[in-house]
Amino acid sequence: MKLINHENILKIGKYKKISLANINKKLAIKLYTFMLKLRLCEEAIEKEYHPADEMRCPVHFCSGEEAVPASLNSILKSGDYLFSHHRSHGYYLAKKAPMTKLFAELYGKKTGANSGLAGSQDISYAKNNFFSGAILAGAASIALGTAISFEMKRKNNKVVVTGFGEAATDQGIFWESLNYASLKKLPIIFVCENNNYSTFSPQSKRVGGASIAERAKLFGVKSKSIFGNDVCLVYRELHKAILNARKGKGPFLLETFTYRYSGHVGPLSDEFVGYRSKKEISFWKKNCPIVLFEEILLKKKYLVKNDIKNIKTKINHEINESFSYAKKSDFPIINSLEDLNLNKETPVADKILKDMENVNFDSDQKVILPKGY
Amino acid sequence: MPTYKKITYAEAINQGMHQAMELSEDVIVMGQLIDYKPGVFGTTVGLIEKFGKKRVRDFPVAESLMTSAGIGAAVAGQRVILVHIRIDFMMYSLDAVVNWLSLWRFKSNNESNVPLVIRAIVGRGWGQGPQHSKSFHSWFAHLPGIRVAMPATAFDAKGLLLESIFGEDPSIIIEHRALFNLKDQVPKEAYRVRYGKAVIRKEGKDVTMVAIGCSVIDALKAAKNLENEGISVEVIDPRTLTPLDRDTISKSVLKTKRLVVVDPGWHSFGASSEIITSISEKNIHKMKANPIRITLPDSHTPMSVSLEKKYYIKQENIVLAVKKLINHKE
Repeated sequence: MKLINHENILKIGKYKKISLANINKKLAIKLYTFMLKLRLCEEAIEKEYHPADEMRCPVHFCSGEEAVPASLNSILKSGDYLFSHHRSHGYYLAKKAPMTKLFAELYGKKTGANSGLAGSQDISYAKNNFFSGAILAGAASIALGTAISFEMKRKNNKVVVTGFGEAATDQGIFWESLNYASLKKLPIIFVCENNNYSTFSPQSKRVGGASIAERAKLFGVKSKSIFGNDVCLVYRELHKAILNARKGKGPFLLETFTYRYSGHVGPLSDEFVGYRSKKEISFWKKNCPIVLFEEILLKKKYLVKNDIKNIKTKINHEINESFSYAKKSDFPIINSLEDLNLNKETPVADKILKDMENVNFDSDQKVILPKGY
Repeated sequence: MPTYKKITYAEAINQGMHQAMELSEDVIVMGQLIDYKPGVFGTTVGLIEKFGKKRVRDFPVAESLMTSAGIGAAVAGQRVILVHIRIDFMMYSLDAVVNWLSLWRFKSNNESNVPLVIRAIVGRGWGQGPQHSKSFHSWFAHLPGIRVAMPATAFDAKGLLLESIFGEDPSIIIEHRALFNLKDQVPKEAYRVRYGKAVIRKEGKDVTMVAIGCSVIDALKAAKNLENEGISVEVIDPRTLTPLDRDTISKSVLKTKRLVVVDPGWHSFGASSEIITSISEKNIHKMKANPIRITLPDSHTPMSVSLEKKYYIKQENIVLAVKKLINHKE
């Protein structure tokens, strides 16, 4: 495969390689519906954010980056773990966590996924093994630990997936994680959504040397760089990598080149900063993952226009329901915030440890400092 | 009847590690050099032979990753013990501790928790100088969501280790190397020392002396000297800083009307300040003298043996400070 980077990707013009190989109709519609749901969901939140100002938490929108979450949604099993970065909504929904509780979380309500304690960028849904966090590579390195746990219980064939932006690979701990995953052949998939920008700063300004996928190879982790707005390609690569990891064949890094349409954070455009060109934006809009997929689905008659209309109606209904659920819900009432930080209960210790008497300590003994090593 | 045996602090930790791993297959250990003969000053000896390399993981020199990996493993159901042979190296993992570990339970609204234990060893020995001699207990005690233990005796070292491993919250246990050869009567059984429960190491009526970690034995020795001079000191070992057993200290201060804190950390913004403040807030009008703290200076540790002697807290300093406090005219 030719070297992909954000400069030469623009030369493609219109992406024409999308193919439905290994994607049957049922799966295709599932992928499409998920992507559309995520997009409409984000757009609805963006629209509602100002001037109502009722969602009072930083939100990092992911419009344009639907292909990875959609693929994971169709591949991951409930016992698998998914750790994501702060651009979390797609991953949250990918792990089948409820949309109602996502919206309620943004509104800071008691019924939110985390009762309004976490917000968008640190949201989790532990029941479904989904976690996120805003300190870039942190989630990737925590995911590695879950992979260690899975390695110990190999018979479960569970995998861990960690999704992150390319800026997370600016951090050293990311490469520490890759090294250990390679060393122990851990069941972990690293998915990089390379959208080129760390807030405003492009990768070319931040990184010298080889691409992320190439560097991963030097760490002994198999990898691939692909055009990330082709959901079929993303699905096929992730499906293969996850299957291999389940079989104990070790980690994989997939670098998907993609783009966020929204500003870095919040619903307002940050184009006034002047960090990206009109040409670039128009390339990525033309190659929107949903548009590309829709075109081939219509062409291959997996869908007709009316199906799309029906899917949209259903999704909009779910979004409206989620808004009204969130708005109607109460704010949390918490009497002791301290109790949320440390638990007073120790059920396991209570079961296996005894309370015992402390016999008097001999304080007359001499303290001998260790020698200098 | 429990069977007590006199063993060293290091042996007690080692015994606790073995017992924990026998009690539950979920327990794993990660740390550098934990599977070699010296076994981190004897504390991890024999684990690799008994439990194998999947549960006893010699880790690369990637301390930041080690803590993050510990979090991830714990979230997936392991009970994780991380061993830092030098607390200084643990500082690479401040992001993991501050931004992830401490707030994991909170931000999940109690839906997810991290049973992770960090054994961080303060390497004070001959002339370590400014490296390997720092103790960060006050820093960590400042963070919500983390329990901090400072065991001063072999009994507490084992009991707090087991309590931490089989508890449900992250714990940082700060172990001073100066304590590793001290002996104490330790039960063979798997027992617990609870967080937030201080112990009165010596009863007294004139002064309450709260001593932390490796200062406990110095405080006890000083108290004995003072006793000979007619000053009766009550020595309290809080054993854990978070949660802190303010009740026991408060009760004692109401009896003695005087408070001294001996803290093997830097002077300003430390555990000693917190203890004095929280006790004084309620009791200052009942106290006969202003509380005092005996600490390290606000300085890094000098290497030279002559300067090092001056730097560390000595019994004589404690004795002098208490006498001054007692002679204080109201």
